[in-house]
Amino acid sequence: MAQYRTQVKIIADVLSTARDMNTEGSGVGITMLLRRGNMSYSRMSKLLGELVGSGLLVELNAEKVSKYKISDKGIQFLAAYGHFEDFALSFGLRL
Amino acid sequence: MGPDTAAIDEILQLIGVFVSFSIAFVSYKGVRRTDSTTLMRLTTAFVFLGLGFLVEGLVGLSGALPWLPSVTATMVVLGLVLETTGYFFLAFSHAIDVMLSKRLALGVLVFPVLAFNGTEMSNLLSILSFYFVLYGVVETLYSYKATRRPDTLLIAGGLALLASGILAQWLSIMYISVNLLPLVEILLKEMGLMMLFVPVLGYVFGREKVSGPI
Repeated sequence: MAQYRTQVKIIADVLSTARDMNTEGSGVGITMLLRRGNMSYSRMSKLLGELVGSGLLVELNAEKVSKYKISDKGIQFLAAYGHFEDFALSFGLRL
Repeated sequence: MGPDTAAIDEILQLIGVFVSFSIAFVSYKGVRRTDSTTLMRLTTAFVFLGLGFLVEGLVGLSGALPWLPSVTATMVVLGLVLETTGYFFLAFSHAIDVMLSKRLALGVLVFPVLAFNGTEMSNLLSILSFYFVLYGVVETLYSYKATRRPDTLLIAGGLALLASGILAQWLSIMYISVNLLPLVEILLKEMGLMMLFVPVLGYVFGREKVSGPI
């Protein structure tokens, strides 16, 4: 049976990509986020706008290309997500 | 029920209230931190269960509170309605989670209403509760098969005990002359709730871990 991702799971996936792929500290491009996030460009653009707006991601404008870096608030969100994902899994549920 | 068993019943109902609200509290913390709809449904489920146990506990106190006897019958039904609503949200979480498709999930939840239409209210509520919790047991076991988490197995065991308690509750309505059934019911339910509480304990008192890659 197909496993559908909830909005919270999608956000956690995008944030964890922005955290794990930012090896050089200059942020992660939308191409990498799309590849790992498995969603359309328009949906990803909208989501990135929301995540930047809510302070979970920081937008860096380098060489006319937008790159994204996880913020401290985003790191805290991922910590909370991991904690409560475990809790939900105990009940046989997915966040 | 005699005075001794009534006192035990009261204590057990209070434990039920504490456990239910503790689980609801942890779930609600999760809702505030992550905006998760899954945790919102879990919170709703345990708030209703806690309120149900609270109302049922108040029914037991009717002898001590002079104004209560006049509303006891209404409170018994109210307690059962609250409890059944809690079990509904518990089953509802799973129905949405596995995405059986909206139509099938709706059918799963509406079927008992059609199947048992016309039966006595308390009887119907007990059957509905049993059905919802049993559905939760099956889904949790299904999840355990995939994750092999001991916590999940414990929750499934707790839900199975809750289902047995609800079955005893239904039998106590059917066979009112068997005096021990209400006590068996509350014992099974409380043992079930305690089993649900064991994995949650770490989340009530524990600190958040730093998450790794998701």
